[in-house]
Amino acid sequence: MAEFLDLEAQDAVRMSWNVVPGTKQDSSHCGVVPIAAVYTPLKPFPSMPVLPYAALRCRNCRSVLNPFSVVDFVAKLWICPFCLQRNHFPTHYHSISDQNLPAELFPQYTTIEYESPSEKSTVPPVFFLVVDTCLIEEELGFLRSAVSQAVGLVPENSLVGLITFGTYVYVHELGFGQIPKVYVFRGSKEVTKDQVIEQMGFFAKRPKPASGVIAGVRDGLSQETIARFLLPASECEFAINSILEELQKDPWPVPPDQRATRCTGMALSVAAHLLGTCVPGSGARIIGFVGGPTTDGPGAIVSKNLSEPVRSHKDLDKDSAPYFHKAVKFYEGLAKQLVHQGHVLDIFACALDQVGVAEIKVAVERTGGLVVLSESFGHSVFKDSLKRVFQSGDYDLDLSSNGIFEVNCSKDIRVQGIIGPCASLEKKGPLCSETVVGQGSTSAWKMCGLDKATSLCLVFEIVKKEIPEAIGQSANNQFYFQFLTYYQHHSGQMRLRVTTLSRRWVAGPGSIQDLIAGFDQEAAAAVMARLVSFKMETEAEFDPIRWLDKSLIHLCTRFGDYQKDSPSSFSLSPRFSIFPQFMFHLRRSQFVQVFNNSPDETAYFRMILNRENVANSVVMIQPSLISYSFHSSPEPALLDVAAIAADRILLLDSYFTIVVFHGSTIAQWRKAGYHNQPEHVVFAQFLQAPQDDANAIIKERFPVPRLVICDQHGSQARFLLAKLNPSATYNSDVPAPEREILFTDDVSFEVFLDHLQRLAVQ
Amino acid sequence: MATPGGPRPGSTPPNYNPSNVADGMQNLQINRPVGPPTSMANSGSFRPPPPFGQPPPPFSSSAPSSSSFPRASAMARPGPPPPGSGGPPQATFPPNLASNRPSGPPPGTQPPPPFGARPPPPGSVPSSVSSFGARPPSPGLNPFGSSPLASGPVGPPSSTSEPVSNGPPAYGWGAMQGGPRFPSAGSPLTPPVRPSPPTTLSARAPPPAPSMGSLLGSPPTGAPPGPMQAAPFSAPPHGVPPPSGSSPFSAPPQGVPPPSGSSPFAAPPQGMPPTSGSSPLAPPPQGFSPPSGSPYGHQAWAMHPPQVAPPPLMPGSVQAPRMFGMPPQPPNQAMATISPAMGPMGSSMAVPSKIDPNQIPRPMPSSSVILHETRQGNQANLPPPSTSDYIVKDTGNSSPRFLRCTINQIPCTVDLLTTSGMQLALMVQPLALPHPSEEPIQVVDFGESGPVRCSRCKGYINPFMKFIDQGRRFICNLCGFTDETPRDYQCNLGPDGRRRDADERPELCRGTVEFIATREYMVRDPMPAVFFFLIDVSMNAIQTGATAAACSAINQVISDLPEGPRTMVGIATFDSTIHFYNLKRALQQLQEIGSPGSCYLPLMLIVPDVQDVYTPLQTDVIVQLSECRQHLELLLENIPTMFHDNRTADSAFGAAVKAAFLAMKSTGGKLIVFQSGKFELFKILILPSVGIAALSAREAEGRTNISAGEKEAHKLLQPADKTFKTMAVELAEYQVCVDVFITTQTYVDVASISVIPRTTGGQVYYYYPFSAVSDSAKLYNDLRWNVTRPQGFEAVMRVRCSQGIQVQEYFGNFCKRIPTDVDLPAIDCDKTLMVTLKHDDKLPDGAECAFQCALLYTTIYGQRRIRVSTLSLPCTSVLSNLFRSADLDTHFACFLKQAAIEIPSSPLSLVREQVLNLCINILHSYRKFCATVSSSGQLVLPEALKLLPLYTLGLVKSTGLRTDGRIDDRSFWINYVSSLSTPSAIPLVYPRMMAIHDLDSKEVDGSRIPPAIPLSSEHVCDDGIYLLENGEDCLIYIGNSVDPNSTRQLLGISSDDEIPTQFLLQQYDNPLSKKLNDVVNEIRRQRCSYLRLKLCKKGDSSGMLFFSYMVEDKTPSGLSYVEFLVHVHRQIQNKMP
Repeated sequence: MAEFLDLEAQDAVRMSWNVVPGTKQDSSHCGVVPIAAVYTPLKPFPSMPVLPYAALRCRNCRSVLNPFSVVDFVAKLWICPFCLQRNHFPTHYHSISDQNLPAELFPQYTTIEYESPSEKSTVPPVFFLVVDTCLIEEELGFLRSAVSQAVGLVPENSLVGLITFGTYVYVHELGFGQIPKVYVFRGSKEVTKDQVIEQMGFFAKRPKPASGVIAGVRDGLSQETIARFLLPASECEFAINSILEELQKDPWPVPPDQRATRCTGMALSVAAHLLGTCVPGSGARIIGFVGGPTTDGPGAIVSKNLSEPVRSHKDLDKDSAPYFHKAVKFYEGLAKQLVHQGHVLDIFACALDQVGVAEIKVAVERTGGLVVLSESFGHSVFKDSLKRVFQSGDYDLDLSSNGIFEVNCSKDIRVQGIIGPCASLEKKGPLCSETVVGQGSTSAWKMCGLDKATSLCLVFEIVKKEIPEAIGQSANNQFYFQFLTYYQHHSGQMRLRVTTLSRRWVAGPGSIQDLIAGFDQEAAAAVMARLVSFKMETEAEFDPIRWLDKSLIHLCTRFGDYQKDSPSSFSLSPRFSIFPQFMFHLRRSQFVQVFNNSPDETAYFRMILNRENVANSVVMIQPSLISYSFHSSPEPALLDVAAIAADRILLLDSYFTIVVFHGSTIAQWRKAGYHNQPEHVVFAQFLQAPQDDANAIIKERFPVPRLVICDQHGSQARFLLAKLNPSATYNSDVPAPEREILFTDDVSFEVFLDHLQRLAVQ
Repeated sequence: MATPGGPRPGSTPPNYNPSNVADGMQNLQINRPVGPPTSMANSGSFRPPPPFGQPPPPFSSSAPSSSSFPRASAMARPGPPPPGSGGPPQATFPPNLASNRPSGPPPGTQPPPPFGARPPPPGSVPSSVSSFGARPPSPGLNPFGSSPLASGPVGPPSSTSEPVSNGPPAYGWGAMQGGPRFPSAGSPLTPPVRPSPPTTLSARAPPPAPSMGSLLGSPPTGAPPGPMQAAPFSAPPHGVPPPSGSSPFSAPPQGVPPPSGSSPFAAPPQGMPPTSGSSPLAPPPQGFSPPSGSPYGHQAWAMHPPQVAPPPLMPGSVQAPRMFGMPPQPPNQAMATISPAMGPMGSSMAVPSKIDPNQIPRPMPSSSVILHETRQGNQANLPPPSTSDYIVKDTGNSSPRFLRCTINQIPCTVDLLTTSGMQLALMVQPLALPHPSEEPIQVVDFGESGPVRCSRCKGYINPFMKFIDQGRRFICNLCGFTDETPRDYQCNLGPDGRRRDADERPELCRGTVEFIATREYMVRDPMPAVFFFLIDVSMNAIQTGATAAACSAINQVISDLPEGPRTMVGIATFDSTIHFYNLKRALQQLQEIGSPGSCYLPLMLIVPDVQDVYTPLQTDVIVQLSECRQHLELLLENIPTMFHDNRTADSAFGAAVKAAFLAMKSTGGKLIVFQSGKFELFKILILPSVGIAALSAREAEGRTNISAGEKEAHKLLQPADKTFKTMAVELAEYQVCVDVFITTQTYVDVASISVIPRTTGGQVYYYYPFSAVSDSAKLYNDLRWNVTRPQGFEAVMRVRCSQGIQVQEYFGNFCKRIPTDVDLPAIDCDKTLMVTLKHDDKLPDGAECAFQCALLYTTIYGQRRIRVSTLSLPCTSVLSNLFRSADLDTHFACFLKQAAIEIPSSPLSLVREQVLNLCINILHSYRKFCATVSSSGQLVLPEALKLLPLYTLGLVKSTGLRTDGRIDDRSFWINYVSSLSTPSAIPLVYPRMMAIHDLDSKEVDGSRIPPAIPLSSEHVCDDGIYLLENGEDCLIYIGNSVDPNSTRQLLGISSDDEIPTQFLLQQYDNPLSKKLNDVVNEIRRQRCSYLRLKLCKKGDSSGMLFFSYMVEDKTPSGLSYVEFLVHVHRQIQNKMP
C-alpha cells in the first residue's frame, strides 16, 4: 500500500492497476475492475517547481517534454515517448546537456507546472450570489447573515453580483447611481441570453455587434455597463448588506395547501446569462442558496400543490416523477451554457425537504461546482462550508477556474472517459475509446471550477490485441500517460500542470503475480464506487448488488489462491485482502442502497464521491472507526458492532458525518459531570480527545461534515449503528448480554465472505 | 325683407344669452349692430344711422351684461370654492370642489393673479360678485365704449363698402326692427321671459356684490330678488342709452313689448307672460313656422326674427339683405330669413351678395344669470341653453346639467319624429358640476332596505311615481306596473293626490337625488381611491422635458389628493422596460437607516420583459399616500435626473399599461399615463411579427398622414388591432380607468392608444407638439383637475325610459358588457354620455314620458351611492311643438357625436354629407310643415334651431372633418368629442374670438371678457391682437401692423419677428397685461380647462392655424357662412315638391 501512497505523493495519481495488463485479453481477465486512474490535478506539492516559461511540446502529438523523453544532447533532440516523434529543441534550450537539464527533465519532476507570465486574466474572480427568499423568517435571518459574512470574506478585488428570487427573479443593480434598482424577471418563463441582453439594456448605449454575440468587453460591452451588476467586493459590500438587511420573505402569498412559488431554475439561468454577457471566459462562480424545492418555471421538480410529494427514488425508478426529466434537461442545457462560458455553479441547499439537487446535479458536476446539502441555513454544515469557500489561509480550497484537462497516452491505450467534475470538450481523436464511461469520446475536458481536492477518475482501455513474443524482453514494456491541466490559478495567472506517468505492462499467462502486485485495492474500491454510481444513474434496470457481487466473485476467482470447489482453501493476496470488505460496505453504502435516502441526498453523496480522492472515497465507502479507551491510546477498530463497549468512546468518520459515540458508562459519567470536576481531569481529557480529532478532520474537509455527538442507546447513535457490520443482530445465535446488537436483516460480513468464498471457488 | 335683419339680431341674442356662449354672442351682437347699419345703408340710403347707432349700443350693452354672465358661469364651474356655495352644492364632493378649480394657474407658471384673485375671495362667488359690482356701474359706459370700438372699426367699414346692393326699404325696415329686436333680444329678453326678471336681475344684480354672494348662497329665491331689482336698473341703463334703438333693448329687458320691433316682440312677450310659457308660445310658432325656442324661446322668438336677418358676409358680396330678412313678420315663428332669393340662389354667387352678413344668425351671449326652475305648474320647463349661465332649482325634473333631451317634448310616434328629421337622444352628464348657487343634491338613506324601486323595471322612486289607494300602492312611471308601497314607506295622500310628505321627501320632489347604496349594491367593499401614475422616460420624453413636466405636475398634485387611508398611490416609469417603485421600502429605509449618505429613494423594480409583463411585487407598489408622501415627492424630483441620459428610444406603452394594471388589479382605480415617445404596439402582442409589420406600415402612413389607399384613410383612425381593445375591456372589468396624457412631437397613433381611455371611462389629453415651456402649466392643471374634480369609481349606469320609448344605444367613454348597463370604471363631472332613444310604441298624447338615469358609484371617500336623475317630459303629436321645444345645443352635440362615431368607419366626404343632411332634413321638415312663408325664396329657420346651420358649418370645417388635418389630431378630436359635454360642444366648433389689443380701453366696468367677434377674417384687423379659444386651445393672433407697444405690454414681445413658437403667458407690470391675464383666467375658469396658448402671426403656419378657425370664411374646401346658407336653402328648395 505504501508504495501507492508514495506514487500519489509524487504525482497525485492512484491507479487501480499499477501494473497494466498489456493486452485487451489480459485486461478483460482483470474482471470488472477497470484500468483506471484517480487523479487530483491541483494537489498541492510544496516542492514542485513552477517554471516561468511555456512548455515545450511535441510537434506531432502536442505532448509536453517530460522526464521519460529520450534526449539526444548532441543533436539537441528529444523523442516523444508517446508518438516517438523526434523533436528539435528550440534555441533557448541550446545550453542543454546531461549536466544541465531543465527542470522538466529531472526524473523526480514527473509533475511540474508552467506559468507563462504573459497570460494573466484581467478579470478578477467573480462571485454571483443567487439567494432564495421563499424562506421562513428564521431561515432567512440565518441566510442573510451567512451571505453577509461571506461577502465580507471575499477578496476585495473580486467582483460580486446579487440575485434574489422567489416567485420572481430579482437582479440587483449594485452599481446604482441615484436609486437602488432591481430587474425583475418572471419566474415561470424562460428567457434567453439575447433577451436578457436586450431587456437589461446592455447595449443600450452603443450598437450591438451584429451577430455571434457572446458579449463581454471584447464584444464591445462597456466596463461601465458591466459594473452595474458586478462590482468589486470592496465597493459593493455596503450595497449588498443593505439589500440583505431589507431582504424580505418573498411577498407573494402562499396558500396553506401549497408550496411557495420558487423559481430556482430561472434564477440560475438568469445568473448564467448575466455572467455570460458580462464576463464570458473568465473565472466566475454562481453560488446558489436554495431553501426549498423549485416549483415554478424551468427546472421545477414538483408542483405547488402540497398534496403531491417530491419525487422519491421509487418514483424515479418507476418513471413516475413527471417533472424530473424535464428539469434535468433544463439543467443539462444550463450546464452546457456554463461550460461554454467557463463558469461554475455552486449550490448550497438547505432545507428539510428536497430542493432538487438531483436535477441540478448535472449542472454542478459538469462545471466542477461545489455542493453542500444541509437541513438549515443555521446549521454549521452550511455556515462553515460557506466560510471555507471564501476563506483564505491554511484550509482554503484553492479555488481555481477555467481549467482544461487533456490526456496523452501510449498508442495502445484508449480513454473511455472520466467520471468526475468535468465536461467533455468533444475533442475526438485516436485516443478515444468507443466505449464511453462518464464524460467520454474526447481527449480534452473542461473543468470550469477545480480546487486542490478535485479528483478525476479516468477509465482506460487496452486495445493491443496480439501478444508479441518475448514480451518480457521487450525494451519498451512501458505505457506512458500524460495529464495536462491548463487552468487559471487563483492569483489570476494561467498555469499548466503536467503529470507524466509510466507504468509497466505485462501480458501473458505468467503475468498474474505482476498484476496482483500492482493492484491498488483502495483505488479500485474508489473506482468501483464511481462506476457503480454512474451505472446506476445511466443504465436502466441496472442491478448494482448483482453487478458488484459478480465483479467481486470474478476477481476472486481469477486472483484468489484456492483449490477448486474448496471454499476453505480460499485465500487472497494481501493486495486483494480487504477489497471484499470494501465491496461489502459499498453494497451497504448510500451509493448503492439509495432507498434510505432521498434522490437529493444520493445525488449529493455521489457528487462528493466523484470529486474526492481515493482516501476520502474509501472513507465514504467504509467509514473509519477509532476506539478510545482509558487503557490504551486510540486505535482503529473494526467497523463492527462488536466495537461498541460501555467504557469506550468511538469516533466514526463516514466522511459526511463524524460521530463521537460514548459507551454507556462514559455517557453516565459525563452526564454526572465528572469531567467538570478537577479531580477527574483525565476523564475530561479523555472526553475531549475524540472531539479534538473530530475537529481536526472537520477543519480539513469540504463540505464540512456533520458532527454528531451521541451516547450509546441514544437516538443519535443510529448514525453509528447504520454503518457497522451487523455481526450481531437480534436473531444472532448467541447474543452476549452486554453486547450491542443491531436490528437488521442485513447479512454480516462473515456471511458475505462465506458466500464469496464458496462462489469464487466454483 | 328688412325684417330679417332686425329680427335676427334680436332673436339670436335671446337664444344664446343664456349660455356661456354669451361671450361669444356678445361679440356677435356687437357686430350685428354694426351689421344692421350696413344693411341699412345698403338698403336704403346709407344710413338710418339711428338704428345703427342705436343697435350697437344695445349690443354693447348686452355685451357687458353678457360678460358679466360669463363670470357667473365661471363661478359655477370651476367653482373656486366658494366656501359656502361650493360646498353645499354637492354634498358628496365638497372637499373636492374647493380644491377643484382646474383653472388655477399653476403655481409656478401662471401669474398668481388669477388664482390669487380667486382664492382670496373665499368663494369664487365673492370675487365674481365684486366684479359684478364693478360692472354694473360701468355697463352703461362699457356698452358704449365697447360697442363703438368694436362696431366702429369692424362693422361700419365693411358695411359701407358693401352696401352695394340693397335692400329695399324692407331692409331698412328690417334693420330697424331688427335693431330694436336685437336689443331686446339682447339677453335681457330672454331672461325676462319667465324667470326673466330674476335672471336679468341677477345679471345686473351683481353690483351689490355681497348681496350676490348671499343670494347665491341661498338658492334661487334669494337671488332672484336681488337681481330683479338690480336688473331693472341695469337693464334700463343699457336700454336707455340707445334710446331709439334702445326701445328694443329696453323692451327685452323688461319683457315689455319693444317698439318697432315690438310687434314681433309683442308676440314673444306674450309668450313671455305666460309663465307656463312654452305652451303659449308654442302655438304661435306653429302658426308662423318660426319657431320656437320656447323657453327662452319666447325671447328667442322675438329674437328670431332678428337672426333671420343676418346675411351677407360674404366676400365683398353685395348684400342681399333680404334674404334673411323676410319673415320678420311672423315674428313668432321664426326666423329664417334667408330668403332673398331663392332665385338668386340658383346662382349662388348672386345670392350671397344679397345677404347681409351681419344679419345672419349668430350666437348671442346672454348677459345675465338665468334662474331656471325645472318644472312649473306641473309642467316641464324648457331648459336654458347649455352654454348660458343659469341657476337651476330642482322642482321635480332633473337639472338640465345632468339630463338634457334633444327635444323637450317627446313625439308620440316614431313617424312624427321621422318627419321632423330630428334626433331623439339624451345627453347624460350624471356628475355635472352644479352652479355654486344651486342647492346641493340631497342624499337619501333608506337604511337597510335600500331605495324604494319598482319591482318590475327596477326603476327608482321618483316624483312621478303615482301613489294610489291611500298610498298603499304606487304606479311606476317608467313601466306602468303597480307596486305595493313598502309598509314603512306608506303615507296618506293629500287632496291633490300627492303624498302628504311629498315635499319633505327629496326623492318625491326632486328630479335628482342620491341614495345611499346598501350592501346589495356592492360586489365587494367600496374600493379605495387608487391613483397610479405611469410616466414615459424614454429618450424623447426626457429630452423634450415631458418627463420633467409630468413629474413636477404629479408632485404638485399629490398635495391635492385627499388625505386619509383610502387614498393610495403608485408610480411606475417606462421606456422599453417598465420600472416600478417599492414605495414602502423607501419608508422603512428612511426610518431604519436614516444616516446621511444612504439612499432614501425607493427601490426601483424593473420589469424587462415587455412581451409578457407582470407586476414585480404584490404589495408595496401601491401604498397609502399618507405613508409615502415624502418619498414619493423625493422620487418624483429625482426621476428626470435619474433618466437624464436615457438613450432608449422606444416606449412600451401597452406593456406598461398592462403591468400597471396587474398591480392595480385587486383594487381598481385611476391609471394616469404620460406617454410621449413612439410606442411599440408589438411589445404587447403575442405574435410579434404580425404587430411589427402592421405597425410599421401604419406608422409610415401616420407620419406622412396619408394612407396607402386614400380611400381607406379612415382606417388610420381605427385602432391598429384588437389588442388594446381586449386589454381595455379587461381593465374595465377590474375597474381600472386609464387617462392618457400624450406629450409628443411626432405621430403616436392616438387612434390606437385612445381605445383604452375610451373604454375605461378615461380621457386623452393631447399636447402636440409638446413644449416644456408652454405646456407644463397646462399639463399640471389638467392633471390637477383630473384628480380633484368630482368623480366616482366603479360605476354602473343605466337609463330607463317610460313605456313606448327605449334606449337604443349609449355613446361615450365606457365599457359595455351587457346591453342594458354601461360600466364606468370612473366617471367624473366632465364626462357626458349620449343615449339615443327609439320608440317601441306609440305614446299617448298629453301624457308625460320619463327618463331616469341611475348611476351607482363609489365616491372618492368610499361611499357607495346611487345618483338618480329623472326627467319627465310631455308627449306631443304636434310637429311644431317639436321644433319649438328643440334644444339646439343638445341637438348639435348629438350631431357632433354622431359624426365623431362615423369618422373612423366612413370616408370623410360621406360623413360630411351625412352631417349636412341631418341639418337639412330638419330645416326642410320645418320649412315644409311648419313655416308659413310668403316667398319660396326665403330660408326659414325654426327659431330654436336657427344656429344649426352655423354650427353645422363649423362642424364640417372642424378638425375632425377636415381633410387636411393630421391623423393624430383627428383621432384626438374624435376621442375628445366622445365624452364632450353639451356646453363644451358649441365652442369646439364655433370658438370664441375677442380682441385684446384694446382691453384697457374697453373695460371700464370690470367686465373681464371682451365681447366676442364673429369668426370671420373680416373682423380681424391687421392692427389688432385677437384671442380665440375653443375650450381646449387658445390662440393669440397678432396682426401685422400692431402697435409694438401693445405687444410688448401684453405679451412681452417687442417686435413680431420675435414671436416665439413656444409661448408662456406672463403677467407684466402694466394694466393691459393684467387684464389679459384676467381674461385668460376667466376663460379658464369657465371652461374648466387651462387652454393651450399659442401665438399666431400672419403669414406662417401659425397664422394659417388661426384662420382655419374662421368658420364663416370661405376656405378652399368649404363654403362661407353665407354661401352655406344659400347652399342649405337650395337643398331645401330642391327637396320641396
